[in-house]
Amino acid sequence: MKRFIEHEELARDSRFIRGNNAQATVIASLPDDVDAIVNAIDPMSAVIEEGVRGTAAEPLYDAYGPGFIFTILNEPLDPEAPAALTRLLFRMHGIFVGELQALEGAARSLWDFPDAPWEFKMNMARQCWDEARHVQIFEKLLVHLGGDVGTFPENTFLFECACSEDPAMRVAGVNRGLEGLACDVFRDMIRYAQKTGDEVMEQAIDYVLADEITHVRFGSEWVKEFTKNDPGYLERTQDFRREVDKQFNFGGARSNRSDAAIQIAVEDRLEAGFSQSEIDELASLSDGGPSRETLIAAGQVLRERHEARKAEKGKEASS
Amino acid sequence: MSERMYPGIGPDERTSFAAYSAFDIPEDLRELHGRYDVVAVAKRVRNFRYAEEWIMMMMGGWIATVPEVPVKTGLGKVIWEGALAADEFGKRLPELRCGRRAMASGEPSNQGFADFIQSLAEPETPDLTIEKLTGIFDVFLPHLVEVYELHMRETDQISDAPTIEILDVIVARKKRHITWGQEVLDRLCETEALRERRRNRADTLASELKESGGVTGSLEIERDNLN
Repeated sequence: MKRFIEHEELARDSRFIRGNNAQATVIASLPDDVDAIVNAIDPMSAVIEEGVRGTAAEPLYDAYGPGFIFTILNEPLDPEAPAALTRLLFRMHGIFVGELQALEGAARSLWDFPDAPWEFKMNMARQCWDEARHVQIFEKLLVHLGGDVGTFPENTFLFECACSEDPAMRVAGVNRGLEGLACDVFRDMIRYAQKTGDEVMEQAIDYVLADEITHVRFGSEWVKEFTKNDPGYLERTQDFRREVDKQFNFGGARSNRSDAAIQIAVEDRLEAGFSQSEIDELASLSDGGPSRETLIAAGQVLRERHEARKAEKGKEASS
Repeated sequence: MSERMYPGIGPDERTSFAAYSAFDIPEDLRELHGRYDVVAVAKRVRNFRYAEEWIMMMMGGWIATVPEVPVKTGLGKVIWEGALAADEFGKRLPELRCGRRAMASGEPSNQGFADFIQSLAEPETPDLTIEKLTGIFDVFLPHLVEVYELHMRETDQISDAPTIEILDVIVARKKRHITWGQEVLDRLCETEALRERRRNRADTLASELKESGGVTGSLEIERDNLN
């Protein structure tokens, strides 16, 4: 068995629909400019449509065009909002596949780094079990909410971004970047569950959040250990984690801004070993993305163009 | 020089009691002397640790390339309990005069066994879940359980009790893993052709394992001695 695999090699059963990672990369680098966003997303319409065809996201694409993804990612979850359940299921499915890739990432660390210290292997083995339980938990929560595995496409962006061939960068990306993101997302999901009175969801995700804090702590400790006596290596590792954080700000969806879909979970991050300056830096990184107003305006333009294309197709079909 | 006296043992203070009556437990009938001395147990524990660490690592490699979600999640727990087993064996090694540095060092019994481990780890692509699981759950874990139980029976029951205690927990877990893995394989092998694949893989690996002498390199000799 070879060391190191590509994200395309992650094996899935027939229920899963593989999405395209390119759109995630584009969304991560959008500026706060309506025209620039429209010019970046509109040419990808065909790819986005292809990715959602046959999934529960297809009606959203039909109604809103390629800009539907902004609504999904950047609008805070609100039980009273239109299509609230679809959006909740979309996020829950995203978390489920994220946990699956986190399991695969932790497990591959055991195989990819055979000469790593034993304590590192113990931590990664424990994380395997934790992530395996998280996969089970989110699969059950999906069903609890009326969804199922494979109802939305999966992109393997998480595995692609974080799974470096260097062990310090791997733990910086996976355990500090992605598991840190998980802390933010799960704190937000707990708030949502409290708002809707869903005690099953609240309790299950609270346990998962406790595990994630432990995983971030593994990352914080191993980055220090792997890079000790080598400040240059530590800096490169921090740069890598910043890149991962930037990618997973989803163009500002996760930030400290008052209109953010997902707030940075400051208390949880401090408990997990992030320093206040790292948290401040994360907030400033995410502030560079587009504002909610910009995204709404871009979404409107994209929707109008989508409607125009549909009308054009309709004319062609009737003639 | 006067004789040094301790409270309770002077001629006038001495009491008499029946052995064990204070705790009302039966007499310990275990006898001293077992098949393995300290050096032999240390070598065996190093061999056990090597096996457990490799099982954990290879299953870690497989999780990403196995398509079935319940298999991925099931392996997560087997990996963790494999790591716990390797860790327990490692902690036992300094107690057997191997030094503290020995905690993270396993070693194969011989090159044949190291080669067997590489054969076990060979299947890679997503269409080979049967080959991956058969090697572990039909061949290797049952072998480990046999050797661990043999050790528990044959070693000095009092002197080597710490190893027995470690093995007792590990064997209980391994048996649960085998039950789970074989149930999964039964479900995956739903046609005769698939069952044939399972049998072929098991036969090939079992013969390689036998040739190597197993995890300790001496399984057949030990079996013969018992017979």
